[in-house]
Amino acid sequence: MEVKLKVKRFDPEKSKDNIWYQDYNIDIHPSSTILDALINVREEVDGTLGLRCACRASICGSCGMKVNGQAKLVCKTRVEEIAPKGEILLIEPMGNHTIIRDLIVDISTFFAKIEQITPYLQPDSEPETGEFIVSNESMDKLLTEMNCIMCGLCVSDCTVLEVDKTFIGPAALAKASRFVYDPRDDQTNQRLNYLNDEQGGIWDCTRCMQCVEVCPKGVSPMDRIMDLRESAIEIGAKKTHGYHHTNSFEKSVTANGRLDETRLAIESAGIFNISRLIDLIPVGLKALIRGKLPPLFPHKAEDNKKIQELAKKIKEDK
Amino acid sequence: MYDHDLLIVGAGLAGLRCAVEAQRMGLKVAVITKVHPVRSHSNAAQGGINAPLTDRGDDWKGHALDTIKGSDYLADQDAVEIMSQEAGEAVLELERMGVIFSRGEDGKLGTRRFGGQKVARTFFVGAITGSALLHVLYEQSLKLGLQVYEEWFVTSLINEEGVIKGVVALDLKTGELEAITAKAVVIAAGGAGRVFEPSTNALICTGDGLSLAWNNGAGLMDMEMIQYHPTTLARTGILMSEAARGEGAYLFNSEGDRFMEKYAPDYMELASRDVVSRAEQTEINEGRGIDGNVLLDLRHLGKDFIESRLGYLQEVSVEFLGIDMAEKPVPIRPGMHYIMGGIKTDVNGETGVPGLYAAGECANVSVHGANRLGANSLLDTVVFGRRSATKASEYVKTVKDSRISTSEHVEKDLNRIKKILNNKGRFRTSEIRNTMATAMTEGIGVFRDQKSMEYAKKIVEESKIKFRDSLVVENKGKVYNTDLLFALELGYMIDCAESIVHGALTRKESRGAHFRTDIKDRNDKEWLKHTLIYRDRSGELKIETPDVTITQWKPVERVY
Amino acid sequence: MKFAFYPGCVARGGTPELLSSSLAVLEKLEIEVEELTKAGCTGAGVLQEKNPLLGDTINVRTLAMAEEKKLPIMTLCSTCQGVLSQANHKVKKDKDYLKKINELLKEEGYEYKGTTDVKHLLWILVEDYGLDKLKDHFIKKLSGLSFAPFYGCYMVRPSEALGFDEKPERQMYLEKIIESVGATAIEFPGKFSCCGFPVLFINQTNSLKMVSNHTGSAKDLGADAMVTPCPLCHLNLDGYQGKARKNNRGDKADLPIIHMPQMMALAMGIETKEIGLARHIVSTEEFVNKI
Repeated sequence: MEVKLKVKRFDPEKSKDNIWYQDYNIDIHPSSTILDALINVREEVDGTLGLRCACRASICGSCGMKVNGQAKLVCKTRVEEIAPKGEILLIEPMGNHTIIRDLIVDISTFFAKIEQITPYLQPDSEPETGEFIVSNESMDKLLTEMNCIMCGLCVSDCTVLEVDKTFIGPAALAKASRFVYDPRDDQTNQRLNYLNDEQGGIWDCTRCMQCVEVCPKGVSPMDRIMDLRESAIEIGAKKTHGYHHTNSFEKSVTANGRLDETRLAIESAGIFNISRLIDLIPVGLKALIRGKLPPLFPHKAEDNKKIQELAKKIKEDK
Repeated sequence: MYDHDLLIVGAGLAGLRCAVEAQRMGLKVAVITKVHPVRSHSNAAQGGINAPLTDRGDDWKGHALDTIKGSDYLADQDAVEIMSQEAGEAVLELERMGVIFSRGEDGKLGTRRFGGQKVARTFFVGAITGSALLHVLYEQSLKLGLQVYEEWFVTSLINEEGVIKGVVALDLKTGELEAITAKAVVIAAGGAGRVFEPSTNALICTGDGLSLAWNNGAGLMDMEMIQYHPTTLARTGILMSEAARGEGAYLFNSEGDRFMEKYAPDYMELASRDVVSRAEQTEINEGRGIDGNVLLDLRHLGKDFIESRLGYLQEVSVEFLGIDMAEKPVPIRPGMHYIMGGIKTDVNGETGVPGLYAAGECANVSVHGANRLGANSLLDTVVFGRRSATKASEYVKTVKDSRISTSEHVEKDLNRIKKILNNKGRFRTSEIRNTMATAMTEGIGVFRDQKSMEYAKKIVEESKIKFRDSLVVENKGKVYNTDLLFALELGYMIDCAESIVHGALTRKESRGAHFRTDIKDRNDKEWLKHTLIYRDRSGELKIETPDVTITQWKPVERVY
Repeated sequence: MKFAFYPGCVARGGTPELLSSSLAVLEKLEIEVEELTKAGCTGAGVLQEKNPLLGDTINVRTLAMAEEKKLPIMTLCSTCQGVLSQANHKVKKDKDYLKKINELLKEEGYEYKGTTDVKHLLWILVEDYGLDKLKDHFIKKLSGLSFAPFYGCYMVRPSEALGFDEKPERQMYLEKIIESVGATAIEFPGKFSCCGFPVLFINQTNSLKMVSNHTGSAKDLGADAMVTPCPLCHLNLDGYQGKARKNNRGDKADLPIIHMPQMMALAMGIETKEIGLARHIVSTEEFVNKI
C-alpha cells in the first residue's frame, strides 16, 4: 500500500530554516510497521533522515517517537492500524526531550531521573552462598515493572513534566516501585520517604493516565505511582498535601457517600497551613459572590449509611 | 585526553560483566558503546541462562556433555569444563545483584527445560531473561559509577607495533573523532547478524568488534558456524524463544504431523537447534510447509500459562501477526540468529595480540563449537566477561604508561572518513548491504554446498569493491550522522562476511550448523579441527586448522 | 430513550449550572432520565489511591442499581465516566474480583452481573441520539464562533476501558458536537491533556501552569471559548484562570470555559439565565454578545 509520511526534521548544523516538515510517499506491505516505513525511506529515498532503532522487536526501546501526536514505539506500531485508509502519518520526535537531530532526542535527562531513585538493589546483607530465599509470587509481581525497557514514551507524553522539570516522572517512579516491592531490598522506608518528600515526588502525578496509555510494555507507570502513594501512607509518611487530599476524600465519601469539596480544599491545604488557606480565599470569595461556592453543609447520597457500612466492612476485612 | 587502565568496547552483558569486575578490582575502567547500554542486543535473549547447580543434584559434567554434544564435538572441552563449573556461581551472583528470576515453591530459583538437554537447568525471567539481566548489570554499573562513552563508535584500534593501546572513536552526538587510550582493550561488541538477511539480530549487530580485532592481528575461528534459530516469526523474522518448546510447544507441518518424530524421536522439539532447523527446512523444501513456514502450537498450554511464563512471545505474536497463541498456532521458520564463531581467545579472553581481549558473542573460546545450545549464550557472556576482566587486569599492571601520542592515529581515520564522505559513488550503503546479506543467506544457509558458498564469496568480493569505489553517503554533516555510521559499519560487515565464506569453503565436511548437501557426513578423522583465519595488512588471508581440544568426552555419533 | 442518571457530585455541588443546563437540554431532546439517588461518589480516582477496594465496591454498587432498572447509565462528567468505566472494565475482566465485591454488596441486596453500559452524555448524543436528529434542535446556529475542545483525561484514557478499541471515533465527538451547532472546532494541542485539577490542592504551581498553557494557547489559536464535557476541568480552567494567567503569562483571564450542555442550550435558544452562564468566574458576557 501507499504510505504517506510527514516527518518533522531538524538539522542543528543549519543556521536558519533548520526545522521543517518533509513528506515521503512510499509503497510498502500493509502489515509493515511504521519503523519498516521509516527504514525504507532511509534506505531508498533519503539517507539523511535521522532516527534511532535497533531490535525491531519492541525490546530495546530505541525507536520511541510521536505518531499523530502520541508517543509510540514505531517498531510495534503497524501502518494499517493507524492509517488504514492511507491517511497521512505525522511523525515527530518524542516530547519532553531535547532534540539532537530529526527524530533523535537527547536521552540523558531521562536516565538522570532513573539515577535519582537509587536504581539498584540495596540489601543490608547478602547470603554468603546461594540465592536470597523469597517467594516466587513476590518476584512474579515485579515482572510488570521489569518489563520496562526505558523507551521514554511515558516521559514524552507526561503532562506534569511538560510544566515541571523536577518531576521524577513515570518511568523512574515505576523503576522505584520495582525496588520498594522487592523483598530483598532493605531500604524500603527510606525509598518511600524520599519519594514522598522529594520535590517532584509521587504526589505530583496528576493521574492523567497518559503514561498508562502510551506504555508499550504494560508497565502502567501511574498505577505503580498509586501503589507507592498507598505504601507511603502505610508507613506513616503523611506530611504531604497529597495525603491530606486523599484522606479527606475518603472521609468525605465514607461519611456522606458524596464528595464535600469545601472540606477537601481546606483539608488538602492542611488545617494549620494558614498561608495555603489564605491562598485559596480569592477564588473562594469570587465563587461565593457568583453563587458557586460548594454548599457549606455537604450534600449526601440517600442511604449514605450503607456506604459507611461498606467502608467499615472493608476496613475490618483488612 | 581520555585515558584508562581498561577500555571495554560494548556495553551488553559481556561488556558490563567485565566492567563490573574490573571496577571492583579498582581499575580505572571505561566502557565505549555505540548505543546506550540498555539498548544492547543482549536484551533479545529471551528464554534463560543455563547453569548446573550442583548443590541441588545437578552435575556440571551433565551440562558440559550436553554442550559438547550440542556443539557436534567442535567445542574445546577444557573451555566447556570451565563454563559448566563456573555457571552456578555466575547465575547465583546475578540473583544477588537483583535479577528477579522465577522461583520454585521453596523460594529457591526455579528452572525450565531447554533444547539439547534432558535436565531442566535453565534459569529464567519470563521470556525477557536477557533484558532482565542487562538491566540489572546496568544498575550495578550505576552503583559502581562506571564511566560510559555512550553513543560513541569505534573506528579503529590504536595499534603500536602489534600492541593495542586504545581506540579511535567517533562521538556520534558531536561528530568529533577522538583517541581514547588504555592499557588494555576488551572487545565485547557482540555478533554480526546483519551480515545476513533476514536475521533475528538487531540492526546494530554489524560485527564491529570482530573486524577491529581481525584487522589488528587476531584470528577469527569457525566463522562458518552460523546458527539458524528454529522458531522465528513468519514474515517479520522476529525471534520466538526456544522457551516455547521448553515449556511444551509442538511443531506441526501442513499435514498436521509432529514431524520431529522423524528427525529426533527422543528429544522431539527439544533437539539441538541445528537439528530442528534442518528438519523444518526439509519439511518446507519437500512441500509440507505453509507459505515457507511450519507451525508452532502452544494451544494445549492454556492462556494463563502462556501469559505468565511466555508473556513476551504472546505480545509479539499478537502485535505483529495478530495471532493469540492460546487460540491459533503461529507460523514460524528458521532464521539466522547467532554466530558460534568469533575472535579466537583462550579461556581468559586473551586473543594472542598484546593488550587485546575479547568476550561474548564476538569471541570464540570455544564453548559453542558447531552449534550453541539455547541459554548457553547468556552464560558465556557472564562467565567469560568476568574472566577476561581478571586476566586483563593482570596485564594492565605490567604496563607502565598508556599515554602516547595519538594525533597520527586520529588523522588516519579522519582522512578515511573524509574520503568516504567525498566519494561520488552511486551505491547507497543499504543497497550494498542488502545485496550481500541476501546472498549470504542463500550461500551460507541452513543447507549449503560448494556452489552456493562460492556464489556468496563472489558477491562478497563484489561488495568489497563497490564499498571501496562506488559508495555514496548523502549526509555530509557531523551531528548524529547515521548515514556515515552505516557506511563504517558496512566496512566491518564485509570483513565478517569474508571470514565466514572462507571458513565455510575451508571445512570439507558437515558438522553442526555447517551442513553441506554435497558432503553430508561428519568427518572426525580429518575435521576434528577448527578453521582459523588471519588477515595481514596487505589483505592476504592465512588459514589454519588447529585441533579441537578433547579432554574426557570422545566424539560419538550425535543422535537426539 | 431512557437512562439511569448519574449527575455526579460536582454537578450537584460546585457547578450547579452544569446540572441545570443538562436537564434543560435533555428536556428539549425528550431524553428521559431517572436519577440514581442512592449512588455514591465514584471516588474520582483519588479514593482509589488509598482504598481501591472501597472505590470499586461503591462503583459496582452503582452499576448494579442501574442493572436492576435495566437501564444504561448516563454521566455528565468525564471523571465519573472514566472511573465508572474502569471499575466496570475491571470486574468484567476479573470474575473473581467481581465475586468478592458482590459478596460485600450481598447484605444490601445487590448482585452485579456485568451488563450495565456507562455512557457520558456526549457519547449518547452521537451514538444513541444521532447528530442529524440533534441538529434539528439547533435553531440558533453559533456560526462565526470558534471553540477549543477540552475532553478531560478520564474520558479518553485508558482507551481500553473506554471502548475506544471498538469506537476509536469517540476521540472526535466533541468536535462533532461543536460543528453541529454551527461553530468551528479548533485543533489545539492540549485537548486530551490534563487540566491540572487533581493537583490543584497539592501542587498549585503546576496546576496553574497547565491552566495557563491550555487557556492561553487556545486563545492564541483564536478560540472564543473552550468547551468541556467535564465539570472538574471547568472548575480549574474557569476558577483559576485569572491567577494562572497572571502568574504564568502576565495577562488576564479571557477565555470562557463553557460546559458542553451550555453550548448546546445556547444553540437551542434556551434562555442564558436558565443555564447559569453568569455563575462563571471568567466573564461570559463578551462571548454571549457575539452570538
